[in-house]
Amino acid sequence: MGALYVYGVGQSSKCGTVSVRGVAGGEVRTVEHGGLAALVTAVEGGPLAAAREVRSHWRVLEEACGGSTVLPVRFGTVMEDEQAVRELLLEPNAERLEHALRELEGRVQLSVKGDYNEEQLMRDVVKGSHAVAKLRERIRTLPGEAGYYDRIRLGELVAGEVGHRRAADTRIALEMLEPVATAVREEELRQPEAAFNLACLVDREQQDAFGREVARLGERLGDRIELRFVGPLPPYSFADVDLDAEAAAWA
Amino acid sequence: MAIATAPRGGYLERPRPSGLADVIDVILDKGLVIDAYVRVSLVGIELLTIDARIVIASVDTYLRFAEAVNRLDIAHDDTTESLPELVESMTSGGASSKAKGAIEGVKDALTGGDDDDDDSGGRSRSRSRASSRSRSASSSSGSRSGSSSSGSRSRSRKKSS
Repeated sequence: MGALYVYGVGQSSKCGTVSVRGVAGGEVRTVEHGGLAALVTAVEGGPLAAAREVRSHWRVLEEACGGSTVLPVRFGTVMEDEQAVRELLLEPNAERLEHALRELEGRVQLSVKGDYNEEQLMRDVVKGSHAVAKLRERIRTLPGEAGYYDRIRLGELVAGEVGHRRAADTRIALEMLEPVATAVREEELRQPEAAFNLACLVDREQQDAFGREVARLGERLGDRIELRFVGPLPPYSFADVDLDAEAAAWA
Repeated sequence: MAIATAPRGGYLERPRPSGLADVIDVILDKGLVIDAYVRVSLVGIELLTIDARIVIASVDTYLRFAEAVNRLDIAHDDTTESLPELVESMTSGGASSKAKGAIEGVKDALTGGDDDDDDSGGRSRSRSRASSRSRSASSSSGSRSGSSSSGSRSRSRKKSS
């Protein structure tokens, strides 16, 4: 009994109360050690319904990060009890966690995603690559089944071309956004039409300047790429402190 | 309603507040990783995490399709011929009725406002519970049959005899 779901770690002096309900409808409270506070909710054993709890996790961090900086902990983390949170998470990693919190202080994560207009992308690829255009012409004259391997080959060529375009467009986005951000990270692309997916760490005061640059980027990319600009988010992508695995192993 | 993309002829300079579908990948894949020694692993949590991604990703896709279909300007579009095909392929296979249910359910569970917690939250909860129950039931029966493989069973028989 007494297991605790852990949302994130912040500075105890700045972690205000969180009013939204936590996982399994429970109350959100803090477990403190030194200057650090872990945001937790008591849970009973057994499976949590992730499709619902992921929303609680998101909401709690959203509110907690509204006023101060909180390092998000990976979704689905549960520790044995209050003592474990203190002695295995906060205490052995105090220095690292405090350092990370100082680094992220006053900064937020903004997400800038670009998606290709697929039809236009394909048109550009056919126009830009002689090999693609030629193979496409040949396949068009073949009956359905006959061109199976040619179609795979064509798809492979197109994928290669899309890869080049992604690299070029990512470079453009990085060139424009990096000067107005503290850090920018390329995130994994999950959809075939994705052009880039950037996690940007930005000073709260710099958000307007950053937004103007995103707008300029959008103009530069034109109709080819549709931009999605989302935030401010807790610094999920920048909470990559190397926690002390040795302390854990000895425990 | 704030939609992901800006209107034509100029992008919004302000980011829009996140919807869960926008941030599901960072939530599931990023953040401090606490060592497995220290974590209590709850039965079924890994499995359910995957489940959440699939549910949320498919809702995202349905919403995109819905938006794409709505955006089509049929009167002025010279590709009108392909539209009935598109609609047909979306509705065939029961996709449309499933999509409707899924969107409603997940909207409650995931993108509802702060004020919905008692009412719709309860509804969506029972839904996700039902799906999780069937999932974890099948997985646990799978692992049970795996662990009580012929080897361990024969060993226990030897002991008892």
